[in-house]
Amino acid sequence: MTNFDAIIPVRLNNIVKRYGRRTVLDGVSLDVTRGITGLVGPNGAGKSTLVRSILGLVRLASGQARVFGIDPYRAPRRVRQIVGVVPEDECTIPGLSGVEMVRYAARLSGLPSTEALRRSHEVLDWCDAGQERYRPVETLSVGTRQKVSFAAAIVHDPDMIILDEPTNGLDPIERQAMLGRLTTLAKDHGKTIFVSTHVLPDVEAICDQVIVLAGGRVRLTGTIDALTKPPQPEHHLVGIGPLKNLAAKLSERGLTARVEIRETESIISLVSPNPENINTVWAAAAETGVSIRSLSPATRPLEDIFIETLRQSEQVSNKQDQTLRGSH
Amino acid sequence: MPLQDVGYRPWNKKRCGPSTTIWVIALTGIRLAWESRWLRRMVFFAWSPALIFAASFFAFEQAVDEGRLTSLGTAAQRGRNLDGVGMLGTVLADALGGNDGDVDVQTTRHLVWTRLLLAFMRAPQAMLLAAVLGLVAPTLISRDLRAKAWLIYFTRPVGRAEYILGKSLILFLLVLVITMLPALALWFTGVLVSPSVSVAFETWDLPIRIIAASLILAIPTVFLALAYSSLTAESRIASFAWFATWVACWIAHGALTTADLVASTQDGGVSTVLSATKADQASRSSKIEVSPLRRNFRWFARAAGIDTGQDRWAWVSPYHALGAVQAAIFGIDTRPSSWWPSSMTLLLMSVSSLVILSWRITAPASS
Repeated sequence: MTNFDAIIPVRLNNIVKRYGRRTVLDGVSLDVTRGITGLVGPNGAGKSTLVRSILGLVRLASGQARVFGIDPYRAPRRVRQIVGVVPEDECTIPGLSGVEMVRYAARLSGLPSTEALRRSHEVLDWCDAGQERYRPVETLSVGTRQKVSFAAAIVHDPDMIILDEPTNGLDPIERQAMLGRLTTLAKDHGKTIFVSTHVLPDVEAICDQVIVLAGGRVRLTGTIDALTKPPQPEHHLVGIGPLKNLAAKLSERGLTARVEIRETESIISLVSPNPENINTVWAAAAETGVSIRSLSPATRPLEDIFIETLRQSEQVSNKQDQTLRGSH
Repeated sequence: MPLQDVGYRPWNKKRCGPSTTIWVIALTGIRLAWESRWLRRMVFFAWSPALIFAASFFAFEQAVDEGRLTSLGTAAQRGRNLDGVGMLGTVLADALGGNDGDVDVQTTRHLVWTRLLLAFMRAPQAMLLAAVLGLVAPTLISRDLRAKAWLIYFTRPVGRAEYILGKSLILFLLVLVITMLPALALWFTGVLVSPSVSVAFETWDLPIRIIAASLILAIPTVFLALAYSSLTAESRIASFAWFATWVACWIAHGALTTADLVASTQDGGVSTVLSATKADQASRSSKIEVSPLRRNFRWFARAAGIDTGQDRWAWVSPYHALGAVQAAIFGIDTRPSSWWPSSMTLLLMSVSSLVILSWRITAPASS
């Protein structure tokens, strides 16, 4: 283990996991850096298996995994001491109340009895669990169960928190609150957060880095800023009036512009003007009778990037299939 | 909004070790199991046979105190011939053997207490143990599989060994509460009702034998029950498998023993199967004419360890195998041919159950 490895929260090197003949993870290599990282992918992409491989919960066919430089297969106890997990499945112990559940998790993580109880109440307070914490877990609402599950994952103050679909079943207010807690843990307490989810707006809202997994392979990885930035700087102009005329006028004046029709409105996408050309835009708008509502730097929606990446990966897979059939 | 929301605070104090984890799993498991009204009733009921046995201890010590031991033995012997004796009578008749002369009180007491304790652990307690384990054990692992609670354990610093030991400890504690504790209480009661406290020194080995016999009872049964629980997410199936094992093996044992009895009857009625020794057999044959009622009583007597006849098919049934090994531990029947095959059965039961547990409970998971 090098010092560099110990700094990186998660490093996976060419890991392969097979269930029978089906390859679920096919040579996955990635680094999860500090901050919040989102793991996105379609159903069956291998996200849950990837999460389990980080914890050493599945036997790998090949490859290496390191969590803060520790091999989870050689020293699983050490890894699980510094990692907290919110599993996707609603795993509970029927008969225990919410607070007992969190306390049990704390005790299993090695906290002494009194300390475990004190801290359970503390984190449940922080998660806004209220008096429902005294009810048996199997009778709790989905949202409260999720809070209890989250509290159980952070009660032992782990360095890294892994969450599998953390906003499943939460109403919009609870969802916002959950995302807020994750941001607080990452920004104020220096925790590394690794979120596996389908909900792209969640990833866009809180993540620093995103990893797209499809067909058991990493298809795309990078920071949100870098991925959502268009290939060349662009601005989007939203306005009311004859946008086609405005686009033509701008092109006449040397500013490449095109009209894009979206679901709810039309916009003009134009190559980012220099500060001195801004007046040209205002003047052209005034001449064509368009009232500008906003002019802002353009970003590519994560959803578009995700869908595009999946399409590309499908095309690659199809080509590979055809090549294989041809060779047979 | 809580009154004292201190927010999220770091925690970096010293953590407890794996042995604490085992206790945490065990105590939480007991707490959850104890919520079952049926378990509470059964554990309460499991102590009630101890009252009957305590009365036997009292009756025996009263006879010793009043110097009526010889006459009691003679009466017991007569009573046994008339099929009208109870448990204490049978034990006394065996212990005194119709001896009309002076009786060595110390030796007789040791023998009678040993027989009574063995009978207590065999007949009521072992059967109650099967019932209590059948109630608690099937849910212990199958419920975790069903509720996916295994992720709660194995995403935390809990290893396979701690998990298995924690779950086993739940059952061990229950088994000890319904077998070892009442048996020790009986021995203590015996000392209290005896004429002198020095009796405790005369019978000092009995508590050790009780502990050893309880452990022999607990280890294979607990592991077998847990192995069944780990094989399915449906606790009902595990329950069925547990009870089916006891009943089916008991029936198989009964069938084989009956076949032996029939064969021995056809051979002239001298059974080497039932006799403890040839001399004992000869002595019994000369004195006792076994009536049909007595023959019917024999199954209980043998199950309870009161009848010391050799049971060559004991290894077929876990219940009878446990009895044979416990009889050896209490020094009632120490012939290797009596306990060796049975101890092999129990060893095989324990080892195969542990292999199943290790195979089913994997961290990292095999699939």
